[in-house]
Amino acid sequence: MPRLTIDGREIEAPAGQTVMDAARAAGIFIPYFCWHPQLSVPGNCRICVVGVEDKGGEWIDIACNMPVSEGMVVHTNSEGVRQRRKDTLQFITLNHPVDCGICDKAGECTLQDYHYEYNGERSLSRDAKNHETKHHALSPRIVLDNERCIQCTRCVRFTREVSKSNGLGMQNRADHSLVRAVEDGSFANDPYSDNVIDLCPVGALLSPSFLHKARVWYLKPTASVCPGCARGCTVNLWHRRPEWRLRAPDMRAQNESIDRVTPLENPAVNGPWICNKGRDLAKLLGRARAEGAMLKGRAAELQGAIAMARSLIAAARKPVALVSSWGSNEELAAFRAAFGERLDARVKADHAPEPGEVVEDAILIRADKNPNTAGAKAIFGDAPPDIPKDADLVLVWGEGLDFNRIPAGAKIVYLNAWLQPENGHADVFIPISIQTERSGHYTNFAGVTSAFAKCFPKPAQAADAETLFASLALAPGGGP
Amino acid sequence: MSPKPHVRKRYWNEPEMGWYERAYLFEILRGLWITGGVFARNMFKWMTGRKGALTTYYPEETRFDYAKGNRGKHVLTRRPDGSPQCIACNMCATVCPAKVIEIEAGFDPDDAAHPKYPVRFEIDYSRCVFCGLCVEACPEDAIRMAKEVPALPGDDRWAMWLGKAELLEWQPQADVAKPYPPAPPRAKTGERP
Repeated sequence: MPRLTIDGREIEAPAGQTVMDAARAAGIFIPYFCWHPQLSVPGNCRICVVGVEDKGGEWIDIACNMPVSEGMVVHTNSEGVRQRRKDTLQFITLNHPVDCGICDKAGECTLQDYHYEYNGERSLSRDAKNHETKHHALSPRIVLDNERCIQCTRCVRFTREVSKSNGLGMQNRADHSLVRAVEDGSFANDPYSDNVIDLCPVGALLSPSFLHKARVWYLKPTASVCPGCARGCTVNLWHRRPEWRLRAPDMRAQNESIDRVTPLENPAVNGPWICNKGRDLAKLLGRARAEGAMLKGRAAELQGAIAMARSLIAAARKPVALVSSWGSNEELAAFRAAFGERLDARVKADHAPEPGEVVEDAILIRADKNPNTAGAKAIFGDAPPDIPKDADLVLVWGEGLDFNRIPAGAKIVYLNAWLQPENGHADVFIPISIQTERSGHYTNFAGVTSAFAKCFPKPAQAADAETLFASLALAPGGGP
Repeated sequence: MSPKPHVRKRYWNEPEMGWYERAYLFEILRGLWITGGVFARNMFKWMTGRKGALTTYYPEETRFDYAKGNRGKHVLTRRPDGSPQCIACNMCATVCPAKVIEIEAGFDPDDAAHPKYPVRFEIDYSRCVFCGLCVEACPEDAIRMAKEVPALPGDDRWAMWLGKAELLEWQPQADVAKPYPPAPPRAKTGERP
C-alpha cells in the first residue's frame, strides 16, 4: 500500500485509490462540486485542486482523479492551491446569477459555502452575464434554473449510472451548455428522478412542491423511515423548527406539516437515494385524519369508546384481530403483550400497490407497500389475513381492509388514523396516532431495523396505539 | 453564638442634612409647592388650549414632533408599477430578534425579474421591539420605518397583526383621527381637545 503525506499527515492508502478518497478516509476535507462518492469521476468542476510537491516546487491538479503514489506529498491548503480555487470560483460564478435571496438552496448550497470559505470576492468580470432559461420544467417534478446551473453533470450521471433511465443529457457547449431531458419522457417516468434535487450542488434543480415554501434554516430534519414499501428507506422529514414556528392566525397549519423529504444516508438499506414515492410522504402522511371516536357512526368520547371496545372484546367468544403492517415493532409487541393468545391475530397488508405506481424494481422499490410486514410476521406468524366464518368479533388495526370480508354477525372494533368511509361502519371506532406522532422502529424485508422519531404532537382526539392496547385488554369495569 | 449587631451600610452619597432639613416640614412643603406649580401650569395650559401641556391623549392623539430618525411603523416600499419591492427572501424575518415577521412566498413564473414575491407579509406589533434590524437586513430596500408609530392599542392581540395590505397602503395622514400634522389643540373650557 502506498504511503503518502496529506497536509503533513502520513496516510496509507490502497493502490489505485484517488487522493480525494484517501483524504476523506483520513478525515481531511477537500471541496468538490462534480465529484460524488456514488458517481463516476468527470473532473469538470476543478474545485478539488490540491498541490503536490515536486523538486522543490509544486504542481496543482484535481484530487478526485489523481491516484495516490508512494511518497507523494500533498497540500490541500497551500498558497498556490488557495489562489487556484479562488480563480476557479471566479469562473464558476461567471454566469451564476447570485440570486441567493430567492433561491431555495440558499443556506445549504455548496457554491454559497465555498464562496464564503474560499473566495469571498466580487466577480472580477466586466462582461454581462449570459441569460438562460429560468424555470424550465425537466419533468412535472423537477424545475431547472439554467442560470444557476454550474454544469457539474451530477444529475446527468445519476440518470445514467444509478437510476439507469438515461433521462438527462447536456446540450450545446461551454457557457451555453444546458441540462435537458431526453424527448422520450424517460426522465418524467424515472421513479428516482427527485434525487437530482439533492445531488445538485447549487439551486438549479428544484422541486415545485418545495418551491419558495420555506428558507432551509427554518426547517429541521427528523430521522424517520419511509413507510412507502418494505424497503424501509431511512429519510429525513423536514418540518418547521419550533423556534421558527409561525404564529399568524391562519399560517399555523404549516407548523405541523412535512415540508420536504430527503434521503438519510444509510449504507445498510438505501445508500444516499430514495424513490419519488418517498418524496411525496407529505401527501401520504398529510391525508385527512379521523376526527374522533365513534360508536356505530355516532360521535363518542374517546374514553367511552375504549370502555365499549373493552367490554366487546371481553364478551367475545371467538375474537379475531387483523394487525397493521404499519405498526411499529414497539406497538406490535405491546399488542402481543396486552392480548397474548386471547385474540387470533393475523397480519394484514394496509396498502396495496396503487395504479400507475412502480410495483417493484431492481434498485430500491419493493412490491410489498407496507413498512413493517417483516416485523409483524416475526411476532404474529405468517397466517394469511383471512377471517374465520364463526368469528364474532373482529378487531381491525389500520386501514386497507374491505369490510365486506367481515362475517355479517361479527362486531367490529376499528383502530384507524385516517378519515375513511369504513370508520362509520365499525361498532367501535377509535382514532390512533400516525408515524410522525410517535417514535419507534420498523423492520424491513431483509431484517434490518431502522428507527423513526417523533416530529409533531399527537392530536388530542387520537389515542396512542402503544398504550391503547393495554387499556383495551383490561377486563371491563376496571381491574385486569 | 450571638448574632452580630446590625450595622447600617453607609453610602458614599449619604445626604448631609442640617437642622432645617431634619425639621422635615419645610422641605415637604417645598416639594408640594414644586409639584403643585407644575400641575397648575399644565392645567392652565390645557384648559386654555395652549401649547406645551405634557399630556398627550394617546391613542386619539399622537405626537407630531417625533424625531426624524424615530423608528415607528413599517412601510413596504413599492416598485413604479405598484407591486411590493419585497422579494420574500426572509432576511428581515430571520434577523428579527422578536421573530414577529412572517412571510409566505409565492411563485410568479410570468415575472422573470421577480419570480418570488410575498403572498402574505405579517408583522405582529404586539411583540415588535422597533429595533430596525429588518430595515438594515433588507437587500432590496423593501421595508422602511416611518417615524410615526402605529395606532394599534386595543383589546385584541390578534388585531395587532398588520398584513401586506396595511403595510403597503399605510399613509400617516390617514392613520390618526385628527389632521396631520396636528394643529395645536383648541378647546373650550370643560371640553376635551
